[in-house]
Amino acid sequence: MNINKSNPLLLHPLNKWMKKKKWSWFPHQIETFHYVRTGSDVVVFAPTGAGKTLTGFINPIDDLIKLKKFKGLHTLYISPLKSLANDIVRNLEKPIKDLDLNISFQVRTGDTTPYKKQKQKQKPPNILITTPESLALLNSYENAKEFFHNLKYIIIDEIHTFLDNKRADLLSLNIERLQTFSPNLQRIGLSATLKNKQDAKKWLCRKKPKIVSYENSVLPKIKILESKERIPWSGHMATYSINEIYKEIMKSKLTIIFVNTRAQAEYMFKNLWLINKKKLKIAVHHGSLEKNLRLKVENNLSKGLVDCVVATSSLELGLDYGDVEKIIQVGAPKGINRLLQRVGRSNHNLNTPSKAILVPTNRFEFIEAKAAIEEIKKNNLDKIDLKEGSFDVVAQHIFATACAGQFNIHDLYKEIIKAYPYKKLKLNDFKQLINLIQDGGYVLKNYDQFKRIFQLRENKNIYKLVNKRETRKYRMNVGTIIENPMLKIKLGTKTLGNIEEVFIQNLSQGDSFIFAGQVLEFQSMKNNLVQVKRSKSLISKIPSYSGGRMPLSTNLANSVRGLLAKSNMWDLYPEQITEWLKRQKYISKIPKKDEYLVEQFPRKKIFYTVIYTFAGWHANQTLGFLLLRGFKEFNYKPLGFVANDYAIVLWSLKEVKEIKTILNLGLLDKHLDNYLEETSIVKRLFRDNAIISCLIERRLPGMEKTGKQVLFSSDLIYTVLKKNEPDHILLKSSYEDAKKNMIDYDRLREILKKIDKKIILKKLTSISPLAVPIILEINRENLSKKETDEYILEDLENEILKEANVLSIN
Amino acid sequence: MYYQLINFGNEEFHAYPNKSLYWKRLNTLIVSDLHIGKSISYAKNKQFLPPYDTKEILNKIFVSLDNIKPSNLIVVGDLLHDVFSTLSIKDQDYKNLSQYMKNTDFIWIKGNHDKNIQIEGFKNFTNYKIEKFLFTHIPFETSLFQICGHYHPKVKISHRGKTIFKTCFVHNEKIFILPSFGILTGGLDIHSKQISDVLGKKNLSIYPVGHDKVYKL
Repeated sequence: MNINKSNPLLLHPLNKWMKKKKWSWFPHQIETFHYVRTGSDVVVFAPTGAGKTLTGFINPIDDLIKLKKFKGLHTLYISPLKSLANDIVRNLEKPIKDLDLNISFQVRTGDTTPYKKQKQKQKPPNILITTPESLALLNSYENAKEFFHNLKYIIIDEIHTFLDNKRADLLSLNIERLQTFSPNLQRIGLSATLKNKQDAKKWLCRKKPKIVSYENSVLPKIKILESKERIPWSGHMATYSINEIYKEIMKSKLTIIFVNTRAQAEYMFKNLWLINKKKLKIAVHHGSLEKNLRLKVENNLSKGLVDCVVATSSLELGLDYGDVEKIIQVGAPKGINRLLQRVGRSNHNLNTPSKAILVPTNRFEFIEAKAAIEEIKKNNLDKIDLKEGSFDVVAQHIFATACAGQFNIHDLYKEIIKAYPYKKLKLNDFKQLINLIQDGGYVLKNYDQFKRIFQLRENKNIYKLVNKRETRKYRMNVGTIIENPMLKIKLGTKTLGNIEEVFIQNLSQGDSFIFAGQVLEFQSMKNNLVQVKRSKSLISKIPSYSGGRMPLSTNLANSVRGLLAKSNMWDLYPEQITEWLKRQKYISKIPKKDEYLVEQFPRKKIFYTVIYTFAGWHANQTLGFLLLRGFKEFNYKPLGFVANDYAIVLWSLKEVKEIKTILNLGLLDKHLDNYLEETSIVKRLFRDNAIISCLIERRLPGMEKTGKQVLFSSDLIYTVLKKNEPDHILLKSSYEDAKKNMIDYDRLREILKKIDKKIILKKLTSISPLAVPIILEINRENLSKKETDEYILEDLENEILKEANVLSIN
Repeated sequence: MYYQLINFGNEEFHAYPNKSLYWKRLNTLIVSDLHIGKSISYAKNKQFLPPYDTKEILNKIFVSLDNIKPSNLIVVGDLLHDVFSTLSIKDQDYKNLSQYMKNTDFIWIKGNHDKNIQIEGFKNFTNYKIEKFLFTHIPFETSLFQICGHYHPKVKISHRGKTIFKTCFVHNEKIFILPSFGILTGGLDIHSKQISDVLGKKNLSIYPVGHDKVYKL
C-alpha cells in the first residue's frame, strides 16, 4: 500500500501505533476519515480483514484527543451480537493502552451487571459499545436526553445484518431518537460488501451521505467436494460423504464446517465422532447451546485448541478466530452473500485467498453449489431488500418513549417518520398504535378506567405513563427477537442449553436424542426443566428446530437456471450428475433460463403435476397452497403437495387438464386472503406481534408458569380478536408481516405475472429424472392444523374402537 | 348438536363440544369455570386482552339454554374471574339473564375466583347435592360422586408422530372434572401433579373436545 504524503492520517494519534505494528492505512480509512471530518454520514463497505472496526473509530479517537479530557459519552458503537461487542472492546484496548490515550470505553449488553450499568449511567465512558436492544433500553430511561446530549458519533457495525428485519426497525427508531437528543450526531455504518450499497446509504445517512467502498481483489478458492460416492437424490444430511469430509479435516490445521440447521449440526457432529479414529478434537457450536459451552468452543477456536468445529450461522459473524484454514459448507449455500460471509471466516489475511469446500447433500444442491461458485467469480452478490417498518416495533417504541417521560404525539410522529423504514407510516395507523399501548386499542371499551398511558387533561396531545411500575414491564419485553418456547436441558445439575418445547412434547420417558454432541435420554420434565441422563443408545432422534429455514436467493436461483440450461457444461460435472441431466433432456426437457417447465405424469392411479419455479421454499410453499385451491375449484380432487426451493409437486385423483388457465396472477389475487386465513401463518406471526408490541408479556426462559390453569395463549387472543374486531391494528400488522416475510409475496407475484407465457408443458408417461428428488420428499399430506387435529382424534378413536372390538371377541 | 354419551356413577350424561355437560334425566345443564370478565381483570394489571370474552361466554350460555331449555343450570365454580368482572356485564345482559331465570333454576356454586362476590338475585352455594351426586368446585373427601371444575383439564395426545393438546372432560370412578367453558382460559395437563393428586393416574376416562365433536379415548 502506498503511503501518500498528503495522507491526513499520518498526523492521527493512532499513527504511531500503526507504525510500530508495521501496518499502513487503507485507502478506505483515509477516505472515511476525510468524509466524516467534513461532516458526512458515511457507510463503509469492506471485506473482513480490511480494518473495518478501526475505520469506525478513527474519527472518534481523533476528535476525543483534540477535545482533551472530554467528559461524558462521545461515541456509541452498535454491534449485532453481544459476543462481538466484547471482541470490539478487546481490540480497542490494544492501541488505547499502548499509546496511553486518555479515552475511556466500556461495553454494555444484557450480560453487564446491574451495578456496572448503574455506574455507567452516573459516569458514562467516552465510548460505549452496545447492542440495539441495550440502546433501546438506555433511551427508555428518564435521563436519556442528558446521557446522550453530547453524543458525536454513532457507529453501526455489520450494518448489512440489520437491513431486512425488525431489529433494523427498532434500531432506526432509536437512532432518530439520538439525533433528536444530539442534533449534531454523525452516523458511520460498517458493512460487508453489498450489491445495493445505495439502499444501505438511504437507510442510515442523513447528512451529506457518502459511500466508501473497498473491494477485495483476491477471490476465495472454492471447490466442490470430489466424491467417489453417489450423491443422493434427496435429503440434507450428507451421510454419503462423511469419510471424505473427515479426510479434509485431517488435511487442514483448523476447519469450520458450516451447516444450515441446528439438527444438521448435531447430526454431522455425531457422525464425525463415530469415525474419529485419529481422535481429532471436534466441537459443535449452535445458538441453542448454553452460553458457557459456546464460549468454551469460541475460546478453544481462537486459541487453536481444536481441529474442527461444526457450526450453524452462530459462528458466521465476529472477529478473527485464529488460524481457521478451511471452511466446509455442507448443504446448499442458499445465497451468495451468505456463502461469502462463511467462506470469509477462513484466513483473515487480505492478500491470501480464503479456502472453502462445498458439500452438496443432493443433486440439485450440486447444481446450486456450482452456480454459487460461478457467481462469486463474477462478484455477483445478492440484493438485500430493505423492509418497510413493522407496526409492532413502533408500538414498543411508543411504550419506551412513555417510560422516559411524557411526550407529545405529534413530535414523536415527526421523529418516527424520519426513520427510513417508517417514511410511509400513516398518522392514522400511528394513532391506533398509541391506542394499542394505551389500552389495547379495542373498539369495545369495557375498561376505560385501566390505562397504561393517558392524555393530559390540559393538552390532549401529551401522553404520560400511568405509573412507574410499567417501566419494569417494558424492560422485560424489549427487543424484536422472539424465540419459540424453549425449555432448559439439565444433565444432572449442569445446564446444557435450550430446546424447543414442541420437540420435548413428542418424547416419552426413555427416548433418546442428540444434543450438545451427546446422546441423551429423556427422563422427566418438571417446572420447565428437562432432566436428561447420558444414554448408551446409539439410536436417537435429532433435535428438530422449526424456523430458520433460509430460502434460495433470487439471484442464486437465476444462476441455477442459467447453469442447468448450459448443456455444454454438463460434461465437466461428475458422471452421475451428467447422466441425470442427459436423461432428463431425453425423457422430458431441460427448461431454458426464462422458461417454466411443468411436467405431468400418472403414477399408481394418481396424477402428478411438477412445476419447476426455482422460487425458493417460502414462495413455493405458498404457491402450493394456492394451487391446491385452484385445483379444487376445477374439481381435480387434489390430495396434497410438497414444495422445496426448486419445485412444487401436487398430486390429484383426476388429471389436471387446465394448468395454464390456473397458473397465473389471478391465482394469487383470488386465493391469497383465503390461504392466510386457513393456515397458521398469520396466527404464528400474531404471537410475535403481540409480544413485540407488549400486548402480552414475554415468557422468559426459566420463568415459571405462575397462573397455572388460567394461563392464556396468544392463539386464544387471536381467535377472539379475529371474530370480534377483524380490523384491529395488530391483526393488520400480522397480516402485513405474513405478506412481507413468510410467503415471499413480491417474489411470487413477479413470477406469476410472467409465467403464463413461459410455461413449457410436458405430458409424460412416467416420472422424469428431474422430478425424482421432489417426489422423494412426499411423505405426508398437507392439511391445515385444524384438519390435522380432527384427523388425529378420529384416527385414534377408531383404532381404540377396533382394539376394543377385538378384545370383546376374545 | 352432536354429543358424547358418558356414563358416570351409573347415570347417563351428554358431553357437548361447547364444553357443557347435560344430565338428561333431571334436565340439568352443567358448566364450569366461565371466568367471566377475565379480560377486564387483566386490564387492571395493564394486560389488555380483547374485551369480548364476557359477551361471547354469555352468548354461548344463552344459545345452550335456548337449545336445551334445561330446568336447572349448575355452574360448578368460577363463574366470575374476580370482583371487577361484574363491570363487564352490561345491563342488557342482566335483563337477559333474569329472563332465562324464569324457566331455569340457576345454581351458582362458588369457586376460588368468585367466592367473595355477590350478584343481586343470584343464589349461591359452596356445594350442592342432588341424590348421590355432589356438585362442587374443588373435590374433597366424600363417599358421594363429585362433579367439579377448577382444573381446566387438557390431554396430551401423541399419535403417529404428532402431538396435540386438547381440552377434555375427564373422570375416574368417583370424580368428574369439567373443562373450562371460558373463552380466554387456558388448560392444565391431566397428567400434571395437581390433577393426578385428585384423579390418580389409572382408569381415567378421557373425552377430548374437537371442533364439533367430543371424542372418547
